[in-house]
Amino acid sequence: MPITQAHVGRQYPPTPAYEVSAAKIAEFATALGETGDRYRGQDAVAPPTFAAVVAAPAWQAMFDDPELGLALHRIVHGDQRFELARPLRAGDRVQAVLSIEKVRSRAGADIIGALVTLRTTEDELVGTATATFFHSHEAAA
Amino acid sequence: MSAPAQPGGPVEVGTELPPLTVRLTRTDLVRYAGASGDFNPIHHSEHFAAQVGLPGVVAHGMLTMGTALRVVTDWVGDPARVRTYAARFTRPVVVPDDATGAEVLVTATVTALGTSATGGRTATVSIEAVCDGQKVLGAARAEVELDG
Repeated sequence: MPITQAHVGRQYPPTPAYEVSAAKIAEFATALGETGDRYRGQDAVAPPTFAAVVAAPAWQAMFDDPELGLALHRIVHGDQRFELARPLRAGDRVQAVLSIEKVRSRAGADIIGALVTLRTTEDELVGTATATFFHSHEAAA
Repeated sequence: MSAPAQPGGPVEVGTELPPLTVRLTRTDLVRYAGASGDFNPIHHSEHFAAQVGLPGVVAHGMLTMGTALRVVTDWVGDPARVRTYAARFTRPVVVPDDATGAEVLVTATVTALGTSATGGRTATVSIEAVCDGQKVLGAARAEVELDG
């Protein structure tokens, strides 16, 4: 069954809590070539795009939803937006909730808009990650 | 902490940030895969990249986006000042398996000034990322707080 407009509004359960560690922040910052002290040590803050690491399991749950009929190798990340109430820090325990905001089908592909809201396990809003994915149809791949 | 919000003087619409040249090699892609948990094989395997019609192994869009933001984080001094960041992945960065990799030139310009909810000054920064003469990010924009 393919993804359709009928799936707009579908929301998934919160992902298991992701515990942000100082070591992971430093590792991620290094991978981006960010060398600053702000990313190192117990008071480290995460680079803004680290939010994608926490959002990723929520994206994966949508990709794996059998009712949407998506194939991972035919999905391309089209655009990404982050809105951050504050940076992620070591010690944060964060859950991601995804809702499908938009589905459009055009020749050969589905365009899927997904909003991920990131909250700590204490229910503090950390930010949102809004993504558009292009899912190409079998014949076009 | 005191961070240099305006290293080049006052911030105005049209202020250009110090540009950045980033070199991405296959090792950088593998490092980002491990750090992010995104092990999509198109980011390390020629075989899988060819299967989906790519000209070669490509960088993760999020690696290009995250790396390009350094032009802003270097400038504002503190990543905690970044409020929003958005970009379209217009073209993949193809990373050859050689000693030099791909070069991405990142430039950025202040396009608007404003005020945050708490009354501090904010700046909207438009970011361009170019590889082999082609834009690899579209409509890339970050909003940052200028006052700590």
